[in-house]
Amino acid sequence: MADIIQAEGLTKVYHGKVKAVDHISFHVSEGEIFGFLGPNGAGKTTTIKMLNTLASITEGRATVAGHDVAKEPGAVRKSIGVVPQELTADDELSGTENMMLMARLHHVRGSAATAKIGELLRLVDLEDASRRKVKTFSGGMRRRLQLVMGLLHEPKVLFLDEPTLGLDVQTRSKMWNYIKGLNKDRGLTVFMTTHYLDEADSLCERIAIVDHGTIKVSGSPAELKAAHGGDVVTLKLSGGADLTEFFSGIEGVSEVAREGDVYRIKLPRAERALPAIVTGVVQKNLEIQEISFSKPTLDQVFLDVVGRSMRDEEASESDSAWENIRMERAR
Amino acid sequence: MLEETAALTFRALRKWVRNPASVMPGLFTAMFYLALFGSSFNPANLIPAAYASAASSFLKADFGGAPTYITYLTSGVICIILVFNMAFGGIDLVLDRQLGYLNSLLTAPVPRAAIYLSGVAQNLAKVLLLAVLTFIVALFIPNGLQLPASFGVVDFLGTFVAFVLLGLGLSFVFTALALTVRSIDSLVAIVNFLTLPIMFMSNAFFPPSIFPGWLRDVADVNPVTKANEAARLLIVNGGALTSSELGTYEADIAYLVVFAAVLGLIGYLAAKRALRPE
Repeated sequence: MADIIQAEGLTKVYHGKVKAVDHISFHVSEGEIFGFLGPNGAGKTTTIKMLNTLASITEGRATVAGHDVAKEPGAVRKSIGVVPQELTADDELSGTENMMLMARLHHVRGSAATAKIGELLRLVDLEDASRRKVKTFSGGMRRRLQLVMGLLHEPKVLFLDEPTLGLDVQTRSKMWNYIKGLNKDRGLTVFMTTHYLDEADSLCERIAIVDHGTIKVSGSPAELKAAHGGDVVTLKLSGGADLTEFFSGIEGVSEVAREGDVYRIKLPRAERALPAIVTGVVQKNLEIQEISFSKPTLDQVFLDVVGRSMRDEEASESDSAWENIRMERAR
Repeated sequence: MLEETAALTFRALRKWVRNPASVMPGLFTAMFYLALFGSSFNPANLIPAAYASAASSFLKADFGGAPTYITYLTSGVICIILVFNMAFGGIDLVLDRQLGYLNSLLTAPVPRAAIYLSGVAQNLAKVLLLAVLTFIVALFIPNGLQLPASFGVVDFLGTFVAFVLLGLGLSFVFTALALTVRSIDSLVAIVNFLTLPIMFMSNAFFPPSIFPGWLRDVADVNPVTKANEAARLLIVNGGALTSSELGTYEADIAYLVVFAAVLGLIGYLAAKRALRPE
């Protein structure tokens, strides 16, 4: 399929010294959900800002829907929808009024606008609440409104910057369904950023893991997990001899770690090796007290690629006053 | 471009109309200036009673023949209300940037000029409503604004032409400033630095004829002085302007037109710069 976003050597340097994005190259195919995954400050938002004309490009070039971002910003703006991290719907206006304003700004007029607004509000189950002022909305409702406010002019590409920031787990998975629906039913291309690993895993067909302004690795979540993670079998035995060497000898096992009577065995396909492991233990007259195996997660991939866990990052999230206000509004 | 400007201005005003209490602080300020300042600093009372005849000729000569001090003060207070509310009205625009609303306009195919002009228009509309209310309130203050019998609708409109032009010029520059600064703190710092000199280096409260020479020279070119001069001619004399008074009025209005046009150009260029990609 044709590439709807192309970025080559995209670089952003702020104030001549802070390199927020460092020679990033990637492409997004039409109809794809593509995700930028990385910790805060990795350069995700800056990349989105360059693609949707909010930030100038220091070096490199990018095209969106066939238009050069630096040379034809007007044409780019017409073909994109942008759902920012911040909740920008107006508190004092109703859901419909907010939609109406966006419609007018995008030159969608009259009955076409009314029909479109009704359709989009229905899509995210906001039709009943549409006459209420946005300040009475919950965080999830605001996010849903925000999502469709970017769609009035039927854009070709939708940019989502941290679409579920500050939402609880249930509301997040609902948001995911809406986003998946837009992508499937309308063939909308989605470029999104997130620092939630499960979000990237559940939504994105392809992801790029970014850190310090560069892409560390990219591919489908399954590919990345296969390449960087592998399955892990965890096994607790009732004492006895050290079986590290025996487990290491089983076909495909790449790593065995032992802590007391607990073994962690890393291998590509746990299902295939399990019989050999269990038979081996039984033959040595040992008893299995606990056994479990886990499929790889993007967290493992992230750890492998970036060298630290995503969870360590979340603890150090920015807590500036504005961040707090935004979170306040998100509630 | 007009469609977007109208849509954005409409959005801001609709928010404002739904929260009518937001005009109250400005209106109270105007009332305090008129009733409290106007009573306590009334020059007629500052001169001892023994010199009553001197006082009355001083008022006649230097205060343009206004029957009461508050009559003189009303247009001054309206100008001050214009300056202050225009200057601090920019806070809404800084908030729009900080809360990400401005970015959502910048990623839409909205002409940058429409974003600027809607800021100018919304500030102007809010402040002019306040100016009209101030004018009405002044009429109800005891010993307050006393209009001549010949003061008609045309004179009222003539008075407000001066205020609109002053307000437009101020809105051009303060809207551009609000789009340029990144924080409310820096806006407040700059605005505080500007507003008091604009207010005191003018004829808003007292006639420049009593100022020291250097201050008078500054006050004479201050657009606030021009707007006051034009407005007071009509407030004091109503429809009965002499041809030389009419000449002064016309010269003041011409001055304000140039003032607004120049600041409009500067403001537009500054706003265009401020709305460029970061």
